[in-house]
Amino acid sequence: MYGFEALTFNIHGGYLEAIVRGHRAGLLTTADYNNLCQCENLDDIKMHLSATKYGSYLQNEPSPLHTTTIVEKCTLKLVDDYKHMLCQATEPMSTFLEYIRYGHMIDNVVLIVTGTLHERDVQELLEKCHPLGMFDSIATLAVAQNMRELYRLVLVDTPLAPYFSECLTSEDLDDMNIEIMRNTLYKAYLEDFYKFCQKLGGATSEIMSDLLAFEADRRAVNITINSIGTELTREDRKKLYSNFGLLYPYGHEELAICEDIDQVRGVMEKYPPYQAIFSKMSYGESQMLDKAFYEEEVRRLCLAFEQQFHYAVFFAYMRLREQEIRNLMWISECVAQNQKSRIHDSVVYMF
Amino acid sequence: MAGDEGAEIYEEREESMDAAVDKETEIKTEGKEDENVLQFLDSLDGYLTLMDSVNSKLREGWFDLASARHSMGTLRINSTLLDLKYHPAASTFQVTDQEVGSLGSVPRFALSKWVSKGGGSPKGKDFSTDTDSEIGSPLSQQLRHRGVSEEKPSAKDENTLAADEEIKKERAKSLSVFGGLVSPKLRGAQLSFETALETLVEIANMRASMLSAFERITEK
Repeated sequence: MYGFEALTFNIHGGYLEAIVRGHRAGLLTTADYNNLCQCENLDDIKMHLSATKYGSYLQNEPSPLHTTTIVEKCTLKLVDDYKHMLCQATEPMSTFLEYIRYGHMIDNVVLIVTGTLHERDVQELLEKCHPLGMFDSIATLAVAQNMRELYRLVLVDTPLAPYFSECLTSEDLDDMNIEIMRNTLYKAYLEDFYKFCQKLGGATSEIMSDLLAFEADRRAVNITINSIGTELTREDRKKLYSNFGLLYPYGHEELAICEDIDQVRGVMEKYPPYQAIFSKMSYGESQMLDKAFYEEEVRRLCLAFEQQFHYAVFFAYMRLREQEIRNLMWISECVAQNQKSRIHDSVVYMF
Repeated sequence: MAGDEGAEIYEEREESMDAAVDKETEIKTEGKEDENVLQFLDSLDGYLTLMDSVNSKLREGWFDLASARHSMGTLRINSTLLDLKYHPAASTFQVTDQEVGSLGSVPRFALSKWVSKGGGSPKGKDFSTDTDSEIGSPLSQQLRHRGVSEEKPSAKDENTLAADEEIKKERAKSLSVFGGLVSPKLRGAQLSFETALETLVEIANMRASMLSAFERITEK
């Protein structure tokens, strides 16, 4: 049941909610995507983007452009928007906005640790890190040999410290251990974020619970599909699923024993929200699954803007921007590889 | 008189026999030239088909790689994750000279896939791909197990299964630089590039044969 957010929300959150709704209006439309899909090369894409909010970020980039450059510059726009909102936010909104960064911090930690394992230069790795996931001592990650050291030397003073309780071992870091660490950290982060949103209550709790539950379920499906045919055991696979969501706990029990995509489909079709997703795909096919999940996510994120006086709009805006950047990356790759007929395989339209 | 007539008849017969032999030699030479031209044209056709195939496979591979980056994220698939530690090559490439009857010495290229030659006992099998050595004949790609020639069918099937398992492990090991759990699209990209590599070796062999056949045609 909602509280009286309408009476008090605008005192601290009104300005930022207006800001984020303004940003939302700047997201690319179907007409923009249609123009981009007709571009012949990356310079054409840059020219079309110059008329959008990304214009100032790309205008100084020299030709020839690369797809990674487009993604990096568009990400800077997202980071600037986020930082502007974060520096204006008060508690508890600032904590809520900080939670949005933790996923990127986990990705950066794993990138540094993996790259160090492969004897890559730390500077090179730092350049590839996501800007939203940077923290002060990130470069020190390169000295750790196992997870215990990772925690003790670096991560104990970061917001990720509470998520390491299930990961602490003295085993040396290798590719599979790192993968398990990534997924365990992300699981702990999602559960913590979920509990925080529940504590906030009201519309924030209701909308964020739905969005985070969907995220947890999607991760469970992706972990299942990606682990088919690998050395990850059923027990280890089940440990990576989050302890909330529509699929928890019975769906997880069934997903843990799936050995192919059709079995995964059989499990998911028992849940009406996911039946619609899997009905778009033919048997044995998994190519369109990502797009189907992204489309469902975008639908739910857009619905978050239909209500006022809650924090979920900030989360929704960040995720929609990330989806937009993914779309731009995909369009750029298809144009660069002269595969324009395949552009619509993965572009997700928002409005 | 009779002797002179006999000598004339003998000489006429000799001349006609010589003419017949010359004609036969000429027919044989023309036939040989036609054969060389046909071999060259067959090789050229095979070469062009293989080039088309490798272009298609590479396009598919790059597209699958882009799909995998879209699915898993740019942080998980990028060049900074590639392993710079010393490690044995997953595949090796050999060049030998082979004597082919009509064409002389022709360079021969062979690919050994998924061979791990790390320290200690050799791990895995040597899977060489080799094309048919008959020039112009349809290409046939075979996986050979060296030193395994006379075995019962059931033992051979077991060996094939074990070999397939070994290949799966080697493929997963190669992809593990991007993480333990990767998208099926990345695995698809790996298969496409693997097939493209095999096709490139076939192209090299076909090109060598084609050039040799061309030399035979032009030398006179």
